[in-house]
Amino acid sequence: MKNVPTLLRRELGAYFASVMGYVVIMFFLLVMGIFFALVVSFLSRQPTQLTAMKLVFSMFWLPGLVVVPAITMRLLAEEKRMGTIEMLMTAPVTHFEVVFAKWLGAVALYALMWAVTGLYIVILRQFAGNPQALDIGPILAGYVGVLVIGQFLISIGVLASALTKNQVAAALMSFTLIFLMTLVVYWVSSLFPGGKWGDFFQFLSPFKHMDDFSRGIVDVRPLVLYLSGSALMLFITTRLVQLRKWR
Amino acid sequence: MQPMIKVDNLTKRYAGVTALDNVTFEVKPGEIVGFLGPNGAGKSTTMRILTGFIPATAGRAHVAGVDVFENSLEVRRHIGYMPENNPLYEDMRIQEYLRFRARLKGLGRARRKERVERVLELCGIRDVRRRVIGQLSKGYRQRVGLADALLSEPDLLILDEPTIGLDPVQIRQVRQLIRDLGREHTILLSTHILPEVEMTCNRVLIIHRGRILASDTPDNLTKTLRAGGEIQVEVHGPLDAVRARIRDLPEVESLSAKGLNDGYVRLLVQPKGETDPREQIFRAVTAGGWTLRELSRARTTLEDIFVQITREEDEAEEDRREGRRRMR
Repeated sequence: MKNVPTLLRRELGAYFASVMGYVVIMFFLLVMGIFFALVVSFLSRQPTQLTAMKLVFSMFWLPGLVVVPAITMRLLAEEKRMGTIEMLMTAPVTHFEVVFAKWLGAVALYALMWAVTGLYIVILRQFAGNPQALDIGPILAGYVGVLVIGQFLISIGVLASALTKNQVAAALMSFTLIFLMTLVVYWVSSLFPGGKWGDFFQFLSPFKHMDDFSRGIVDVRPLVLYLSGSALMLFITTRLVQLRKWR
Repeated sequence: MQPMIKVDNLTKRYAGVTALDNVTFEVKPGEIVGFLGPNGAGKSTTMRILTGFIPATAGRAHVAGVDVFENSLEVRRHIGYMPENNPLYEDMRIQEYLRFRARLKGLGRARRKERVERVLELCGIRDVRRRVIGQLSKGYRQRVGLADALLSEPDLLILDEPTIGLDPVQIRQVRQLIRDLGREHTILLSTHILPEVEMTCNRVLIIHRGRILASDTPDNLTKTLRAGGEIQVEVHGPLDAVRARIRDLPEVESLSAKGLNDGYVRLLVQPKGETDPREQIFRAVTAGGWTLRELSRARTTLEDIFVQITREEDEAEEDRREGRRRMR
């Protein structure tokens, strides 16, 4: 794994050398900013049990669906289309190092975007009438949830990018897979209320877990689920890159 | 001495297509070997197998004594590779790209700095080191690829079509660079341009349809085919008499003759087998009392050899197919 820092530097550089990094960050901040403004104006008119940050975290699926495909579609598809994968894989680096660094780069960019939302806390502290509403524990747990779920969705995006050399196809594939893994699984779980299948799908769906995280509950089970899930995705991706049978 | 490249019975099949068919060859340290063949002959496939980019279907390959399939990472440390079409990260600057590559190749900090400077100098891209690769001309891109291949001072350079897409001046520069590099490195380069191998290589491997058809120095290859080459003769004399006299020589297989405006006759003589009938032609002409102003043998170029060898192979292939059809 000694080549990961070198590869990671290149990956982060690539985001900011192209316009893509900036566009994605702009999209994320714009959408989340508007949502935050709506949340604040809603809460100031009609106080509830909900906290502002809990509502912000409940929006995690939107960047998951749009931002993740946008930052992962390029990763392997572009290397294959340009042929640069040949330069990369004939240097003394392993397939896993390459796949892992690409995943890590996307996770870092994703984390960076969410880190900017830390400003919301500063804003809330400045203007909120009730400082108790800013309990730091649930907020930190919420960020853990956003990161853990996000890194899993990113691993799905990396896998999709390894399946094709067409970036648009990669983006649509990861959008579809992430859509299935989040909203569709949630919808299916609601079809079997209370039963064994209902529990199973609810465990797969990230909404319940995110709800727990943003209430300050850091459970080991979702952590294991998402970390082992992305380990599996990265393993499959490594095998796909090794095969070099892409279209 | 241990060979730099040792390839034994290498075969590569893609879904139904045989790209390499039982190929065996060796390259000794210090040699510049040219891989010559038409497009799709199997040159790039061989190179990609040697650099560990694709696996082989069967056979073995060693680079510097290390097994390519068992210990690919170690093999890759010995090789500087420039793939076909020279893919590069378009968004990086030359210097930044070379530093990244040097780090990937495991060069330590001090050595990295020194080697990047050295290859920038060697490939003549020091003045453009801050330019973005995507905006470079083809010639400069090619040099960046070459600079990358040279970074770790590899024992073996594998260059796939190093002069493709360059203008004549750039081609000459790259060829000179390759010849200079050949003093310190073993080089395997591929091309489908014949003068390129004649000018740069000590040895030629002719590959066609996934098989190696010939392996020798450019000189030897031309020599073996030289006997039997066409002879051009120009004689001052009556067309019919000259034609009849030379056609009757026992060494002559066939000829064509044509009268020129100034009273000379030009004959193109095809000798029988591997004979050289120039002496007999000279005697026949002087015996007729005519004047001779040219008696020369066309120099067989690698191009002729290449066409001849690949044609023979194609005809043999055709015969085999014909035979199979008859058996059914």
